[in-house]
Amino acid sequence: MSALFRYLHRRSFQSKINLGLALIIICFGLLLGAINYAVSSRAVLREALMRGEMLSMNLSARSTESILSMNFLRLTNLVTEIVDRDDRNDLVYAFILDRHGQVLAHTFRDGFPVALLHVNPVEDHQPFGMRFLDTGRERLYDFAAPVMVGSTRVGTVRLALSHTTIKAAIDRLMWINLAATIGATFLALFVGSLFARTVTRRINALRHSAEQVVKGNLDVQISPAPDRNCWEIMNCTEQRCPAHEDRLRRCWYVAGTFCPDCSAGNFPDKLDDCRNCTVYCRNSGDEIQSLAESFDFMALTLKNHIEELRRSEGNLARQKQLLNTILDVTPDMVTLQDVELIYLAVNKAFCRHVGREESEIVGSTDFDIFSDEQADRNYHEDMQILLTRQPLSKEIMTRGSKGKKWHHVVKVPVEENDRVIGLLTTARDITVVKQYQEKLIHSQKMEDLGRLAGGVAHEINTPLSIILGYSQLLLKDFPPDDPVAQDIEIIEKQAQVCRKIVADLLSFSRTTEQAALPMDINASLREVADLVEHIFRQNRIVINLHLDDRIPPVSGDKERLKQVWMNLFNNAADAIGMDGCISVTSKLCAHRRRLVVAVADTGGGVDENDLDKIFEPFFTTKPVDKGTGLGLSVTFGIIKDHGGRISAISPVPSEYMDVSPACTGESGPGTVFFVELPLEGNELPPDECIEIPKKET
Amino acid sequence: MANILVLDDVLDVGMMLRRILTRKGHQVHVFSDEEPAFDHARKNPVDMAILDIKLKKMSGVEVLDELKKINPKIRVMMLTGYPTLETAREALQLGADEYCVKPIDIDELEEKTSEILAKG
Repeated sequence: MSALFRYLHRRSFQSKINLGLALIIICFGLLLGAINYAVSSRAVLREALMRGEMLSMNLSARSTESILSMNFLRLTNLVTEIVDRDDRNDLVYAFILDRHGQVLAHTFRDGFPVALLHVNPVEDHQPFGMRFLDTGRERLYDFAAPVMVGSTRVGTVRLALSHTTIKAAIDRLMWINLAATIGATFLALFVGSLFARTVTRRINALRHSAEQVVKGNLDVQISPAPDRNCWEIMNCTEQRCPAHEDRLRRCWYVAGTFCPDCSAGNFPDKLDDCRNCTVYCRNSGDEIQSLAESFDFMALTLKNHIEELRRSEGNLARQKQLLNTILDVTPDMVTLQDVELIYLAVNKAFCRHVGREESEIVGSTDFDIFSDEQADRNYHEDMQILLTRQPLSKEIMTRGSKGKKWHHVVKVPVEENDRVIGLLTTARDITVVKQYQEKLIHSQKMEDLGRLAGGVAHEINTPLSIILGYSQLLLKDFPPDDPVAQDIEIIEKQAQVCRKIVADLLSFSRTTEQAALPMDINASLREVADLVEHIFRQNRIVINLHLDDRIPPVSGDKERLKQVWMNLFNNAADAIGMDGCISVTSKLCAHRRRLVVAVADTGGGVDENDLDKIFEPFFTTKPVDKGTGLGLSVTFGIIKDHGGRISAISPVPSEYMDVSPACTGESGPGTVFFVELPLEGNELPPDECIEIPKKET
Repeated sequence: MANILVLDDVLDVGMMLRRILTRKGHQVHVFSDEEPAFDHARKNPVDMAILDIKLKKMSGVEVLDELKKINPKIRVMMLTGYPTLETAREALQLGADEYCVKPIDIDELEEKTSEILAKG
């Protein structure tokens, strides 16, 4: 049984419909045939029996007279006539008996069978009697009718109808029935399979589309295009309606249609309002068409979704690419560690910093990358951050092969769902910023010093002028050889020293306006060089000038700038002591917005830590009795008044070293001073001058 | 022989100037406040004034202006510990004869004084 079900289960839909239809029609045909057969065979039999009845009664009536007159010939004629005239050929025999049961006439050719005489007795009051006989050779319906004259019985009429003939009629009827049933079955199968084919064809189309969808082809269209579209039915000209000119979808699948009857929702919610719509009534089909439309709609929606997914996937990929690019291109070091402080992700800057490949770093810890001491320090610091969830921001200084480096390090705990899952560290190289900061602090310090020195100098100036005045006055009151006069002379001399110091201090601190006149920087440099050349030559110090003649006149205080050159030359000579070269270079910076005067010596150089201090008042490396430590301060003040800047580098960079033969001998590291002056205005341009090498820190 | 007015907020400076100039035979009056100095200039014929720039109430340049109004023929020497280009220019415009910077040598002071007085 289950095997049958399984077999049926595997059949196609069309076979199932055909099979079902055939089964139903055959069952009904057989049932109807059986009923029909039963009813009609009974009717045929009854009709035959009634005929037999009629015939017997008729024969009885017709034979009465002949029996009474004993006209045997006529009786024989009667029975022969009735049998021969029978058009249905179903009368087997007929005979007439007298009231004693003697045979008067019969139709038997081979002699009368006596056994028949007593088989079907009939009473006088009965109109007829009927018996079913089986003679062995054939089966018969035997009818007997009494021949009555008044109430006197004169004889009996007997005749028999053949059962086989009646049966043949009934059988014919049965065959007609059967043929009709079979014809109806075939007709039903034909019509049924036609119907089933339309259904299965559409289902197969659906299945084919589903296979296409599975293969990835979403441009399927199964439902037939409507003969009239919604805008044609409604005479709609609304071009902005999403359903307008959409020949692929029925309008009830489209959200946001403009029809006043349409509800706002999406399919299938909006369908409730469509039931009474003309368009819906006209264009909607049966369940299979609805299924096909839904399928088309599903495929289209799926396609849109997939396209959207593809787009967002592309977007995501691009975003990721962008993020990677940003992380890799940024000069800041960025790392992400998990709670075990194992590196999860690092950017290129970090890889460069530690000098390893990204694949080496990811998966390892600080202990694999840094020195034990450094890693241990990092470990404790990082664990602290992970435990306290407090971000850390600090500046650290490292000394490497490229000198001092400053980094601003920010470490942030990465939290997700209230749980720390990692540590994000960024480090920015702020060495340049630090240098600026130091420079700013330095210039601030110089300014403060200037203010202080200026204030002190001013306050001392008046008492000093009184001391000086009175000592000079007293000196005039005593003869020169008087010991008091000599004492006062010492007072006056020292007061003069003080006066010089005060004047220098004022010069350093002064920020007053100056006599700004156009002047030739090169000319002033030559003038001062000529002045000191003779004195320097005594110590075998040579001044070499490398002046750029293209330098235009700048506005400045010629006398005070000459003092600057004088101070710088003297300073250089003091640094050299004996035997050496002073190289003076003047040139324009790129962009021609400022000029630079470089004064390089071949002296002992300046210690790195002292470089920042050399412009401070009273800072000196010279012996106590030589110089006051104000020369460079004064220089600094004057250059600042000119809107310029003075800086020093030691040892001298190669490009500023003097290569003239006289200078190639034994010499120290030397120092080079750079004086920058603006060509226009009273301020240096904001950009750096590339002609001046960066201080190495 | 000249009549000289000295105005300096530090009296000792004035006293010293008087010592120096008296030795040369000049008549010197020393003031440390502006008003008494103006009074003196109004009442007495003053040949020359030596003015500090930083004073108690006014600036030396204003005093110079005022003195020139009182006596247009007065000779003036500015003597200051705070020399600036601005005050120097103003003072010279207002008719100052000299603009000297403290501290000043006696010899220079004597020389400049006699030069100025010789002009008048």
